[in-house]
This record gives sequence, structure tokens and C-alpha cells, in this order.
Amino acid sequence: METPAIATRGLSRRFGDFTAVDQVSLHVARGQFFGFLGPNGAGKSTTIKMLTGLLAPTSGEIEVLGLDFAANPIEVKRQIGVVPEGLALFGRLTASEYLRFVGRMYGLDRATVNQRTEELLEFMNLANEPKKLVTDFSHGMQKKLALAAAVIHGPKVLFLDEPFEGVDALAAGALKAMLQRMIARGATIFLTSHVLEIVERLCSHVAIIHQGRLVANGSLEELRAGVALADDTSDEKLTLEQIFLRTVGGSEPSNEEALQELSWL
Amino acid sequence: MAVTGREGGANRQGFASQLARQQYSALAWARLRIFAHSLRSRRGGLDLSAGIMSYVMGLGIALGPSIALGIGAWFGVSRHHPLGLIAELWVVLGIWQFLSALAPALAGPSPEMNNLLRYPISFGSWVLLYLVYGLISPSSIIGALWCVAIWIGVGVAQANLLGWAALALAIFAMFNLLLSRAILAWVERWMAQRRTREILTAVFLFFALAVQVLNPALYQQNGKLPFGLKQSTISHVADKVKWVQGVFPPGLASASILRPAQGQTAAGAGALGALLLWMLGAGAVLTVRLHAESRGESLSEAPRAMAAGRRPAPRRWRALDFSGPLAAVFEKDLRYVLRSGPLLYALGTPPVMVFFFSMMYRQGLYSSVPRGDALPLGLAWAFLGLTRLVYNNLGMEGAGIQFYFLSPAPARTVVLGKNMLHLALFALEAAAICGMIVFRFGAPRGGIAVATIAWVLFAVPANFAAGNALSISMPYRTSLTRMKGEAGSLSNTLLSMFIQLSLLGIGAAVFIPFAAFGREWMATPVLLALAAVSIFVYWRILGNVDRMVENRRESLTLEVMKGR
Repeated sequence: METPAIATRGLSRRFGDFTAVDQVSLHVARGQFFGFLGPNGAGKSTTIKMLTGLLAPTSGEIEVLGLDFAANPIEVKRQIGVVPEGLALFGRLTASEYLRFVGRMYGLDRATVNQRTEELLEFMNLANEPKKLVTDFSHGMQKKLALAAAVIHGPKVLFLDEPFEGVDALAAGALKAMLQRMIARGATIFLTSHVLEIVERLCSHVAIIHQGRLVANGSLEELRAGVALADDTSDEKLTLEQIFLRTVGGSEPSNEEALQELSWL
Repeated sequence: MAVTGREGGANRQGFASQLARQQYSALAWARLRIFAHSLRSRRGGLDLSAGIMSYVMGLGIALGPSIALGIGAWFGVSRHHPLGLIAELWVVLGIWQFLSALAPALAGPSPEMNNLLRYPISFGSWVLLYLVYGLISPSSIIGALWCVAIWIGVGVAQANLLGWAALALAIFAMFNLLLSRAILAWVERWMAQRRTREILTAVFLFFALAVQVLNPALYQQNGKLPFGLKQSTISHVADKVKWVQGVFPPGLASASILRPAQGQTAAGAGALGALLLWMLGAGAVLTVRLHAESRGESLSEAPRAMAAGRRPAPRRWRALDFSGPLAAVFEKDLRYVLRSGPLLYALGTPPVMVFFFSMMYRQGLYSSVPRGDALPLGLAWAFLGLTRLVYNNLGMEGAGIQFYFLSPAPARTVVLGKNMLHLALFALEAAAICGMIVFRFGAPRGGIAVATIAWVLFAVPANFAAGNALSISMPYRTSLTRMKGEAGSLSNTLLSMFIQLSLLGIGAAVFIPFAAFGREWMATPVLLALAAVSIFVYWRILGNVDRMVENRRESLTLEVMKGR
């Protein structure tokens, strides 16, 4: 059996008395476009930080491409690309300088770095502002640059934390196409997003985390089957939004109930 | 959503309304809570102690001039020397405004003021809060202290002037407060954009250096005037200036105190009225600016619209275009240094200061310092320019620090790349300073030159070792565009200064006893032995950098990305 792209066992992270991620065990097969969802504060970013080496787990194991992250951090980092929550950009470099810097940090040779930098800047439509510092870029442009930096070394696994937030529709279309091409070539993508339509369109598998615990995990069809109510007679497929609300909404008051509470509004 | 009558009308209420009072109280409470939370960590306590020390020192520095100003005012009034009082008031105005204009460059605009407009705060409250923030700023405290000192001096000289002086100095102080806040409001406006902020910082740095240049240039020796000026020219210009300054606030404030003393009450009242007009004018300028801000003027750093068409790409530095992380870090940090006004200023200051000191030395100042000490002192000074880079070598990364944790390059490689750049910069500084010392003082004696080289071999790795340890254990976010005191920097700065002074002290403690017995050369092997120890310590710390960074990963990211 092929080793999974990402596997976690009993992954937990505590901050003092607060448990942000609690015993999460994930299995992401190679070549999967994997969506990782959850309400605000559910533990998504903490999980992705642990999976990418930005945060040490309190307990549990992480394997990426069959390699134990704790034992082989450098080798794992060579194989992955990340667009983290904070984007990890160096504001006082130009886009081109930043990509060249990143390429060299991954050990690419000079010719490859230069060639890929130019191609990525063209693809991301960032080549028109060669002298502009990254700090002066709009949020969307910074996001595109962060994505370019995440793929410059040709990673086998890509972690994207809200990659489409603040990106215009044209660029988002191009990015989606690029990500799907990467999947077609065998890469694995682990994506978090609050835009459920995007996740539904792109991802073949989805996991939902709520209050630090994994509450759903599987293909979209498996999730639909899991949350379908007995009295559902309609032939219409549940949307991911409906699945999501049914999965995590049970313990929360409904919007209508909440509005009744806030009568002064 | 419907807005109820009570809340909707809040914005139209004055600065003394119930809502306004609630808002002041909420703001004061929030300030208190922020202060209390800052004390939660041990580092916060350290920073508070360092902050109290700085305030006490600042107050001590301000108290000296205030005594001098009081005595000066007493002398000017009792001996009927109006020029003395006028000069004092000009000094107060100049320093008050200068310190105030410096405030955003030192600490940045108050984030609270920028956020307050989100709330239903009336324009009156907004102006009042803006003035209250001004009242508790160091410039206002110092300016007010000096005005009180002048008032006491005037009262001691002539008690019947106390009332007039109190009124005149109060209006003068209010004028200064309003003017300083008006200037600050405009400076903040310009500081809101990176480019104008950098230009203003460059202008400030230029003036700061120009003052240093002027000091020795204006230093008079044997009664000679600077720049070959004649006494008659200066007297002529002084007469004109004396006449013109009479219509400005210091001249008017002085007239409104001294004229009644000479029985010219009407003239005094007229001067007071004119001073009041100046105060109202400053208030009007401030109100215009604040009104624009309160109406929602954007102070964001939103980038300008992208220009159509492609611009030429900047040239790459082929000489530094090596492959590998070490070269990447070296080049990236070099670009950062070259694009940062404050860092360039810090690097440029030591050679410039050595040059000024050498000028003063040649003019007879500091003649008690032996010539032979110039080289070690100059080289110790060379390191001062690198303090922020060496002792907080991750502080300028901002959000980029995350990348180091994501990339496969070990932290050791990153730190080594940084140290290599710091070594190159130190070599440049040291070469410039050595050249200057040899040019101005002549070649140092062989014994002291060799011992100094041995001391540098000891001090540089020791500084780098301590710098790497402090950079990981006590980092703070460095601003690359503003000269400002960064949050959380005080303890790091004090420790780094202590370490540098200790290294200089160790060098002196080794050298001086041998020199006293005429055995200077014996200091060199001892210093070389110390150098071997410091290189070993540096190597050990470098070897442990990965583990140290790993252990501090979360707090390091938090402190460098977000500041505190």
C-alpha cells in the first residue's frame, strides 16, 4: 500500500489549560485535493502550523510522505510548500528578489531559480512592478507572491491556509487552474478555506474540525451519506455548506434563535 | 439596523456630555488594563523598570536646564535684560516643538488615536483627547516644567509680576501645546505613507548629523568667530532679528511680562492679546487638520494604483548571486540594511562621530585622553553601529521569520549568514575608523596596535556569541523605516550595552596593568588567549542555535511578527 502524503496520529496541542487540537488522526492520500474545514477557533490554523513545522505538537505523530516530521524535519520541509496564515513574506524585498531568495533557501541552482522566478512572476501577473517592495503590494498581490514562493521548489505536498482570501476573481481562476494541474501531476494539496463553494469545487476529500476534534473526514459522498437525515426525501445532493452546518451547527444556537436572543437588534 | 434616538444623538453632544465622560473613563480603563497586562511577563517587568529608569533620567536631564532657565529669568528681570528672557522663551519654543515633532519618528503615531474615530466620539471630545495625549507627552512635560521655572525666576525677581507672568506663560505654554499638536498632526499625515515617512526620517537624520557637524565648526577658539564672521555683521543681523522676533510668541510673551514691570500696562496687555491671537491661530491650524481626520480622511498605506505597462527590472547583484542559503541570507540582509534609513544612520554614525571627536581633539578638547587610546576606543565605537543588527538579528524579519521555520535551511545557517554580513560591515566600519584615526592622530604605537587587533579578535566573536543568544532569547520587532523605541527593546538594549562595555573593560583591564609596567606587548598573548575562548564559545552557541530556536519557536515568531 502506498504511503500517505500526510498522516497524523493522536495529534494534540495544548496552550496552558486550553486544548486547541485534541487527538486528531488524519490520513491524506497522495494526489488528493484535501479540504480542511472548521469554524473560527476550531483549530485549523494550529493543525496546519503543526503539519508544516511552525508549531510543535504537545503530543502525537506527524508523517509527511512516509517521513516522520520530528525525526526528519529538513527532509520533510524540502518536499512541502506552504502559504501560512501570516504569509511569511519579507516586506523590504521586491517580488523578484524574494522569489530568488526563497529558491536559494531551498537549494535550487542559480539558473533554475532565475528561470522559475521569471515564469512565476509572469504567471501571477506580478512582473509589471519589478521595483515595488513587497510591503507596498496589496493584500491580494502578497497572497499571489506567497503562493509563488510556496511552489518555486516544486513541492510534492502543498499546504494552503486561506489561499484565495483577498485574491481577485481573475487571479483566483488562474490559481485554481494551477492547483488542479499540480494535482493532475501527482501533487497533494491540503487546503483550508472559509469559502465552502471553493472547497466543494476543488477538493475530493474533506475533514471538519470542531472545538479541536476531528468531527468528519472522508470524500464528499461519504460526508453526504454520513450527515443525511432520515427524513431527507429530496433527491438533491447536500451542498458542502449544508454538510458543514449539520456537522458543526448542532451544538450552536441557530441564527434565528440567536437573533431572537438579541431582540434589541 | 435602526439607530435609536439616544445613540444617534450622541455624536452631536459636546465633550463634557455624559457619553463623552463614559468614553474618557473607558479609555483610561483600557489604558490601565493594557499596562497591567504588559506586566504579566517577566520581560514586561524588566521593560517597565527600564522605562522608569529612562523617565527618571529624562527628568533629571530636564531639571538641570529648568534651574538654569529660572536663574536666567531672575537675572533678566532683576537686571533689566529683556534679551535674556526672550532667548529663554525661544529655547523653550524650539525644544518643545523639536521634541514633539520627533515623537512619531521615535514612537509612531498613537494607535489609539487612529482607532478612536470608529466610535461615536464627538469632534470636541476628539480634539480634547488629542490635546490630552499631547499634555502627557515628554515634550509638553519638559516645556511646562521650563515655563514654571521661568515663572518662578520672574516671581523671585519681581513678585508683583507673578500674575502677569502666570497669564503670559500659560498662554505661551498653551500656544506651544497647540502648535506642537498641529505640527504632529501634519507630520503623522505624512508619516502615514512609507515613502514620505522615509523622506522625513532622512531629513531628520540629516539634521541630526548636521548638528554634530556644526558643533565643532562653531566652537570658538581664542575668541575667533566661526566661518570668519565679523562682529559688526553679527551685531547688524542681531538688531534686525531682535526687531522681527518681537512679533513672534516668545517676543510677545516676554513683552507681556516685562512691559507691565516698566509701568506700560497697556503695551503689556496688547502683547498679551497678540500672543492670544497666536494661540488661537495655532488652535485653528490644528482644528482644520483634525476636522479632516474626523471626517474620515484615509491615512492608510494602501498602495497606489498599479501603473500601466511594464517597468524595467532592477539589476541583479551578480557578484552576490551565489547559490545556497548562506549567500541568500547574506544578500537579503544586505538589501535590508541598504533600504533602511535608521540602520544606515546607525552604521554611518560611528565613523562620523570619530571624525568629529578628532576635530575637537585637535582643537584642544578631550586633551586629557591619551592619543594611544583613540584606536581601541574608536573600534569599540565601531561596534555600536552594529548593536541592533547583532543583538537582535531576527528582529527585522517581521512576518518573514515564519519562512525560516518553513524552509529546509537550518537556523544555524541563517544565523551564520547574518553573522557573515555583520562581520563584513564591521570590517568596513573598522577600516573607515582606523583610516580616520591614522589620518587625524597619526599611526598608533606598535604595542597598542597589536594589542587592539588581539582585542578585536576577542571582542568580535564574543559580541556575535552574545548577540546570537540575545537575538533568540530576547528578540523584538525592529522598525526599518523609523527611528523609534521599539516595544520590548529596552532590556535587550541595556544588556547589549552592558556586554559591550564589559568587553571593553576586560580589554582595558588586561592592557592597562601591563602598560603601566612598560610591558604592553605582554597584553597581546593574554588577549589572544581570550580570543580563542570567545571563538570557542561562539562556535558552541552557533552549534546550539537550532535547538535554541526550536525551543523558542512560538514566542520568537510572536514577538518578531507582531511586536508587543
